[in-house]
Amino acid sequence: MKRAAQSTETPQVGRSVPRLESWLKVTGRAEYVHNLRLPGMLYGKIFRSTVAHGRIKRVDVAAAQALAGVYRVITSKDIRELIPEPYYGPAFHDQPILAIDKVRYVGEPVAVVLASDPHVAEEAVHLITAEYEDLPAVYDEVEAMTSKAIVHDILKPAGTFPDLKHLGGRKNTNIALDFHLRRGNAAEAMQSADRVFEHRFRTQQVMHTPLEPLVSVAESTENSLTIHTASQSPSFVRIEIARLLGWPENRVRVRVPFLGGGFGAKLYIKLEALVSVLSLITKKSVKLSLTMEEQFFTITKHASTFRIKSGVSKDGRIVARECEVWWNGGAYADIGPRVTQKSGFTAPGPYDIEHVAVDSYALYTNLPPAGALRGFGIPQLVWAYEGHTDLMARELGIDPIEFRRQNLLRDGRPQATGTVMKDAAIEKVLDRLEALMDWKSPLKNTSKTLKKGRGIAIGFKACVSPTTSLAAININADGSCIVYCSTADMGQGSDTAMAQIAGEVLHMAAESITVVHSDTDVTPYDMATLGSRSLFHMGNAVKLAAEDAVRKLNQLRSELQLPADCPIPDIFKKKYGMQAGNVAGAGSYIPTYKSPDANGLTDNATPFWMVGGTGVEVEVDTETGKVCVTRMVNVADVGTPINPKIVETQISGAAIMQLGFTLHEKMEFDAQGQLRNASFAEYKIPGFLDLPASIVNEAVVAEQKSGPFGGKGVGESGTFGVSPAIANAIHDAVGVRLTALPLKAEDIWEKLK
Amino acid sequence: MTPFELLQPHTVGEALACLGEGARPFAGGTALMLMMKAGVLRPARLVSLHRLNLAGVQLNPDGGLRVGAMTSLSALERSPEVRKGWPVIARTLRTLSNVRVRNVATVGGALAHADPHMDLPPLLSALGAQVKIAGKGGERSLPVEDLYAGYLENTLKDGELITHLDVPPLGKRGAAYLKCTTRSADDWPAVGVAVVLSDETRIFISAATDRPVRIADESALAGLKIEGDLHGSADYKRQLLRVYLRRAIDEARSAVH
Repeated sequence: MKRAAQSTETPQVGRSVPRLESWLKVTGRAEYVHNLRLPGMLYGKIFRSTVAHGRIKRVDVAAAQALAGVYRVITSKDIRELIPEPYYGPAFHDQPILAIDKVRYVGEPVAVVLASDPHVAEEAVHLITAEYEDLPAVYDEVEAMTSKAIVHDILKPAGTFPDLKHLGGRKNTNIALDFHLRRGNAAEAMQSADRVFEHRFRTQQVMHTPLEPLVSVAESTENSLTIHTASQSPSFVRIEIARLLGWPENRVRVRVPFLGGGFGAKLYIKLEALVSVLSLITKKSVKLSLTMEEQFFTITKHASTFRIKSGVSKDGRIVARECEVWWNGGAYADIGPRVTQKSGFTAPGPYDIEHVAVDSYALYTNLPPAGALRGFGIPQLVWAYEGHTDLMARELGIDPIEFRRQNLLRDGRPQATGTVMKDAAIEKVLDRLEALMDWKSPLKNTSKTLKKGRGIAIGFKACVSPTTSLAAININADGSCIVYCSTADMGQGSDTAMAQIAGEVLHMAAESITVVHSDTDVTPYDMATLGSRSLFHMGNAVKLAAEDAVRKLNQLRSELQLPADCPIPDIFKKKYGMQAGNVAGAGSYIPTYKSPDANGLTDNATPFWMVGGTGVEVEVDTETGKVCVTRMVNVADVGTPINPKIVETQISGAAIMQLGFTLHEKMEFDAQGQLRNASFAEYKIPGFLDLPASIVNEAVVAEQKSGPFGGKGVGESGTFGVSPAIANAIHDAVGVRLTALPLKAEDIWEKLK
Repeated sequence: MTPFELLQPHTVGEALACLGEGARPFAGGTALMLMMKAGVLRPARLVSLHRLNLAGVQLNPDGGLRVGAMTSLSALERSPEVRKGWPVIARTLRTLSNVRVRNVATVGGALAHADPHMDLPPLLSALGAQVKIAGKGGERSLPVEDLYAGYLENTLKDGELITHLDVPPLGKRGAAYLKCTTRSADDWPAVGVAVVLSDETRIFISAATDRPVRIADESALAGLKIEGDLHGSADYKRQLLRVYLRRAIDEARSAVH
């Protein structure tokens, strides 16, 4: 592909630069770990638990070990010879690399077969047998609060991240974290309110379904380890592997090429611990690549139950709100405690409510672990509070948009934590939704069996804090530029955005800039690619690094007595007598933050707010309950779009993903905790034929003043409003209210009968 | 997947000779490969049917349609003869799985697989189609509706192969096939309904039952044995059948060709 001219005065920010990597991807040359084969590499296949909760009595690997072509079978016994306490996790060190003594969910890794032929390894897995002593199990998040079945006997807080330092867990319970927020006196205000409404909403467990399943390769020597992995958080992988091995970080190298989707599935640490110990034990390179089916047993999205109660005055003001949220974290905490807390404090929604009480619980159950999935718990909350808002507006006889407008949280007003809202275009998003939906125009039913309805919903999210991003920039002697950052480009277009930000500072075309992918030996620290944080945090770091490089170039110009407009190559030629040398710029960004106090209050909860709203028109078939979303409008506050085209596809992509979680997707478990639909044949994600005929996406005119060139994150905002907007529209169409996801046609039909 | 032997015979006779204990015929492979990957089937030998010259669509002298068993579903879908004389088949194929599968899956395989969620068995049964079957003892014909014994069970004897499909002329009869998916649009259907209107109306339902079942009219639905599953409860499927049967009859009445 032809490289664009380097130097330019054309603005780089705000331009829809085609993605830098698209040419590589469509010609099949982009690097993925999936394609990596190292000489002499072994393939690992995982033997998994068949019971939800049990004490391991015996694992018999003899027949597997005896199969021709099998190199070795590994269990936790082998791992403990290398690492005595092989437990990992970002919030709790609760997850064993392979099950030790107990299994806690169906699908938990118990043993691994290694062979140079993956088919042989797979065949051998079928020859392993295990005996378990069944223990009582718990699956429901609300039951887990009081259940006699205890998933973890000992709780081991990790203490890695500053925002999770306070974690303790509650001994002899399944509570990994309970977060409480008290602002004003909700109970008292509820008593004096004119009307009180209470509802209960539920969401289901779903999976990320990245089309590239989790995959990691490790190669090792006696004192070094290189992990090639499809990870969203290489820096954390390095920290965690180094901790497990008791090694300094510089002996562990984590490389991340492109990812075939992530959505939160590839965060923190997943296969990396296992693949590393397999390589160290066998002294061979080892690859673990999961099947799509196995992903269902690795990481999922929290199922949740939300009890929400509001006190409303005669004139339609919400004066008090109580929120009680139970998060089904599955057998291992993963990042559930952060979901519980960070999402917990926005549970009252984007409304200005004086008296608020929030109780949010992260619970262990005997299901596959749950972690972050595109929204970090926010879609679960918006589902409840926007259904609740709609139901109240109906009861009060107030137009749903008007009711929201009356209660909206505006810039300058304190959110539930006490943090004052800034650069959050909540009202503008609502206004644009109203306009784009043509809200006041009547809907005409033209068929006897198809009833039309309209609904909207709006949500917001606080970016996780405090987190750090570092970036480096190299200006070569010919004036070309390389950006080094550990942000993983998993399809969201971060390489392009970072090149645009650097290009804007350096007056270079984004297309001429090279972005080096995560390699912890080369690229600086980054907390992770998650929670829509990268454009803001890494964007700021890249901007600072570019500014640092400009400063150093200007310094050289002045030292060498060159004019201010002297082209970069001439600086180096003068300095070194030939095309030689380089200038390195460094940038580091961490926003300010204040931990919540005992009441969950803080005046600095987040560096920025994300706002997203969705409006839909639906047709409901009254004979079958089938719902067709005919029109969808997604509006978000993304600050200033750095790349408008990518912003649009991020908004629509997020909304379509949430459409699947709203209408079709659900992990179905039987009474023994066995997953009944762990494949794409029985777990259905949306296809092209499921998309609304009309989708409109809009980023409102807004600016995030603390963001790079006014920008902020966009990856999740499109998910917020989708589920409640559709439920509200169904209610509008046929008068049926569903309070549990997914919105199944059969459930609508049941209520219509 | 375990190792297996792959044979590629050139004639039906050779193919029949290759079949036996532990052998499976291999046509499009779209279902077979999934079953082998899942470990449900572990054949020692696959007998490829690709070199048997059984692909092709043509008109019989009586105006009927003759389809070779190895014709791909997309070739059937795009055949001008089919579009002209049996537009209901072309319409049905448009939403049968996806284009990648239709490019590879074959008519014979789709009929022999006997998964009740498939679209062609009820439709071809309603159209009165017959299959030609080759076996070691010779050739026989069988109505498509008699090809099914139960869930994933066909009535072919060991070592038999479907070689052709014969569909009688549709003429001016109205025909329709409707299916209803309850999750995504490309899900396996919860119910399928095929209707061909004439003096002797033929109605076949599928997906909700363990094989395509012929019914006389809507009143027969109440007595049908229907299993609930992840697609919906038995009650709900019965309702869907009622609704889709009425809609299929309406569509068949207004079908123009």
